[in-house]
Amino acid sequence: MKAEPKRACFQSSTLPHLDRLVTLASHWADGHEAEDDVQETYTRAWIAFDQLRDVGAAFPWLCQILRTVANERRRTRARRQELVFITGLEAAHEEIVASDAPSPLDELLARLEAGRLREALRSIPEDFAEAIELHDVQGLKYREIAQVTSVPIGTVMSRISRGRALLAGLLTVSDEKRAKQGVGT
Amino acid sequence: MTEAALEHARLQELVAAFADGELPPDEGHAVQAHLRGCARCRRELALQQELSRALAKEPARGASAGLRRRIERIGAPAPGRSAFLWKRRWAAPAAAALVLIGIAGATALRSRHGQRPVAEIPIIRDALADCRRVMGRNFPRKADLQAVAEGLQFPVRPLGRPGAELFSTWKTTLAGSPAAGLAYRWRGIVVVQYAVPTELIRQQPEVGEALRGAGFYAASEQGQGIIAFLEGGSGTVLVADVPPEELRRLML
Repeated sequence: MKAEPKRACFQSSTLPHLDRLVTLASHWADGHEAEDDVQETYTRAWIAFDQLRDVGAAFPWLCQILRTVANERRRTRARRQELVFITGLEAAHEEIVASDAPSPLDELLARLEAGRLREALRSIPEDFAEAIELHDVQGLKYREIAQVTSVPIGTVMSRISRGRALLAGLLTVSDEKRAKQGVGT
Repeated sequence: MTEAALEHARLQELVAAFADGELPPDEGHAVQAHLRGCARCRRELALQQELSRALAKEPARGASAGLRRRIERIGAPAPGRSAFLWKRRWAAPAAAALVLIGIAGATALRSRHGQRPVAEIPIIRDALADCRRVMGRNFPRKADLQAVAEGLQFPVRPLGRPGAELFSTWKTTLAGSPAAGLAYRWRGIVVVQYAVPTELIRQQPEVGEALRGAGFYAASEQGQGIIAFLEGGSGTVLVADVPPEELRRLML
């Protein structure tokens, strides 16, 4: 493909996804680093653009490149400051679904400030958080997530299911802690 | 575990996928039938749906105007500096380099040695191309002198000037020979150094003659200063967005 038609095709296929990619990058990195990762993603995408067979699948393809870029950076710097204790979250989730009492989640989600839920997502193990981010925030289908993360679709299914369960547990545990300390959500 | 309990365990794993409309019809029907008689799985379904809906409503961040501009320039036809992709943190140094080039004037845009364009000197042509490539990819993120020198048959000597801060290293090939690339921050600009075999640099047209005469080679190409010299058992090529006179200050 000649340079200018290629560039026009590249821009029309990839630029509409720029904002979504920055949102996704902010799951793995903060501030300027997220934008750096996106810029690196577009640079690599331009170099490899001839390999994209279906421009309709440009977004999952870009997600895959962005994930590689973010992983390369994360290898040299561990971002996660504190990981939660999974067993405690599983117990909290079980308490919600096994109880006959009204779920505390409705009310809790209703008073959660914008952005706090995605923040909470960053505290659960990355494999689960990543699958949920790609599905619930970015709107990818399970088969696309399987392609982006290079795992079988059954694993995606399991990660989303278990990840949301952990997230529900985390929200209720954190809320209980805040209530004990007398702090608002 | 009873058969019913086993079936419950199997189906509860599918509730999230059912909520997301991701199950094939037969499994979807099985989950639907199970939900009618299982309060726990109905609560699980509600939980999965609530969280999914809430996450979908979370605010999106969006790209800054600067990032959008930089990305829109990718693949631009001009081969010079305008095609370079500067990271946000290089924006100020790049601007400083532009000012210096403006002061240096039009003479800095011509080759300093004879009429031979730098594109006809393989080592310089490849150094400029490699420089554009690494700048376009915002430089490798690590600086490891030991790793970059490994396997090379000549020493890799970093610039010893005070204030030249090494921040990236990489292996590359110039004029068909293995070479080491090193990038520095220096006086608000980025300087790229290539370490190459002594013989290779001597064999280059124009460069070899300049080394025998003045002891160094200097040229400009589209606003980039280039100098080459020999020192400490290897050849060095320096490239930066400043006139070659500025770059000479960095000679070892």
